[in-house]
Amino acid sequence: MAGASTYNAALSGNVQSATGRAYPNGNPDLPWNPPAVRHTDSAIPLHRARPVTHDYACDGPAPGNLAFRWTYGSNIAAKNRDPRVQIVQYNEDSFVLRQNVCVHWEAPFTYLLFGNKGALLIDTGATAAADLYPLRTTVDAIIARWAQARGRKKVPLTIALTSGEDIAQNQGLVQFAGRPDTVIVPKPLALMKSFYGLRDNWPTGTGTIDLGDRVIEVMPTPGTHKDGVSFYDPYCDLLFTGDFLFPGRINIGNDHDFVRSLERIAAFASSRPVKWILGGHIEMMFAPGRYYPRFATYKPYERILQIEPALIDEVLRCAREIQGKDMMLIRGDFVLYNGVSPDQRTSDFPADLPNLNPPRPF
Amino acid sequence: MDRRTFLSYPAAAAMTATAYGALAGVADNAAAATRHAPVDFKSNVPAKGSFPARWICGSPSCMDNMDPPVHVHWYDPHTAILRQNKCYSFEAPFAPLYFGNDRVLLLDEGFVQLRNDWDLRGVVDKCIEQWCARNGRDPASLELLVAFSHLHADHYAATNQFADRPRTRYMGLTHEEMLGFWGMKNFPEERVTLDLGGRDILIWGSPGHVVSEFAYYDSYTQILYTGDMFYRGRCYISFWDVWFASMKRLIDFCDTHPVAHVMGCHVEMSKDGEDYAYGMTYQPDEAPVQMTVQQLRDTFAFAKTITKPGIYFTGTVFLCNQTRGTTTIDKNPYRYD
Repeated sequence: MAGASTYNAALSGNVQSATGRAYPNGNPDLPWNPPAVRHTDSAIPLHRARPVTHDYACDGPAPGNLAFRWTYGSNIAAKNRDPRVQIVQYNEDSFVLRQNVCVHWEAPFTYLLFGNKGALLIDTGATAAADLYPLRTTVDAIIARWAQARGRKKVPLTIALTSGEDIAQNQGLVQFAGRPDTVIVPKPLALMKSFYGLRDNWPTGTGTIDLGDRVIEVMPTPGTHKDGVSFYDPYCDLLFTGDFLFPGRINIGNDHDFVRSLERIAAFASSRPVKWILGGHIEMMFAPGRYYPRFATYKPYERILQIEPALIDEVLRCAREIQGKDMMLIRGDFVLYNGVSPDQRTSDFPADLPNLNPPRPF
Repeated sequence: MDRRTFLSYPAAAAMTATAYGALAGVADNAAAATRHAPVDFKSNVPAKGSFPARWICGSPSCMDNMDPPVHVHWYDPHTAILRQNKCYSFEAPFAPLYFGNDRVLLLDEGFVQLRNDWDLRGVVDKCIEQWCARNGRDPASLELLVAFSHLHADHYAATNQFADRPRTRYMGLTHEEMLGFWGMKNFPEERVTLDLGGRDILIWGSPGHVVSEFAYYDSYTQILYTGDMFYRGRCYISFWDVWFASMKRLIDFCDTHPVAHVMGCHVEMSKDGEDYAYGMTYQPDEAPVQMTVQQLRDTFAFAKTITKPGIYFTGTVFLCNQTRGTTTIDKNPYRYD
């Protein structure tokens, strides 16, 4: 073996060298890689002559995860120095943004999705002032960076809201006024219906937003807001539900609509693959049935954001149970408020859940 | 004198007790060199004083709040009123600091425990230094009494910051220790007098919001401090009959004593009577903290008509009669048919 003719990085002691491997970025065919991994950018050439066109067709959900802990405010809100907008990249074409809890207690989540022809921003946060909550700057930076990686000059942006009337999600919209290459879905209900082509079949129809090979489906989900919509991304198999369904205190605006919308979402989730439901906020703690009060600026024990689709059935069952009654109902991953104040309290804790006392920050 | 003996003495009476006289004498001697003529707290009462036009009241974005952690307002040269910043704690309680020739009384200690987070001790020390500099005293000669209006954490959280402070006594966190601190035997009827050194503070029981609560009346400024049982906001009344009796005691007191202002521990409503919901960290249009005796009387008159649990707006305050578990003033704004 004295006369080995080629340089072998591994034999030379450089075991980490990528050049020694047949697949420098990992073999996408290995069994532990999900089927869709071959569609990720790890498989695209390093130096490209043309804009990259991504293949969004894949078996199963596109890989992605929410592996970071969300910023959760601080005991002394005035001393918080976390980023005003937290950015977590779900995968190469999907971003999750969270507003700092100490800028606004609602701490809403905002989603940015990319396709071959454009980008979609779902929701815009709870603060209008750009110096306090620089959403526009942040989104522009993400888009610029993404465009550079994909070799694109222009990325048209569509901005849609899960509810136009929800002041926890529509405040940042003003920052995008006058932005070039931007389409803002109109806020008034009638105009919004026309935009999605839902004027005649609200709330049973489905609209679409085409991002270029990634067609986001828009489903009316009134119930918490009369203009509520949810978005389904068939690439990641994620459902973005805003205020309608999230791990927190769900304030029902109209219980009849809420139940009907849940039924439609349940039917949708049983006919289409849904990996997770991503809502607009987190208000539950990790202990089942425990939640943070309104205006809390320190939430160190938050539940995770993502909801398994199986939870829809439980929400639906509970929503039917309280329909027509003014009451609140606590369950492990959500609390329903129907016809009562958002400050309502109850001593009825579900008997089938462990009644834990999570640590108090004080 | 051991602690048990101290507990059985009203603080004012202890001044004349021989056992205590020896202790007090040491400090008097130490301060004698620098001591100026004592401040006269007995004539020209009520002392002229003023409340600020606007207290610090939080900000739309908490992390951008640039206000001081404690708003210190000198009501008059011998009385400071402290307020916690809403972005340090949404409870933002007020805390009067009364100066006498021998003692300083701090009422209430905010809703943040750690000095690292919120340096109440440093602020109080600074106030005492300023007062001493103005009046030619040695801060070490003044005793600090750290007391609170009632047994809730948003009123005693920072008490431990004073644990290692020299010449400081602080109230214990049980009902018995609280009564013992003021030497009360017949709570809540008994009214004791605390002598801060020429400045009398009258103290009596004022339960109803909780069992363990006091009313404090400063004879110099004639401010009646009513704690959480009566303030510009949601007065959570846990025990209606007990609270009503306490209100009656306040009214009787106002009948027999001059009262310049009635002052509560919090402000939770706007000038127009709009409720600031529990937990809010920004109250841009706050009502003033001080109230008139007439407002107290009107509230009492209103309370006479209340027979059932519920939330009642009297025009001055919200009376939340036994509703703590289901406080429902505001509604879901997104309800629709």
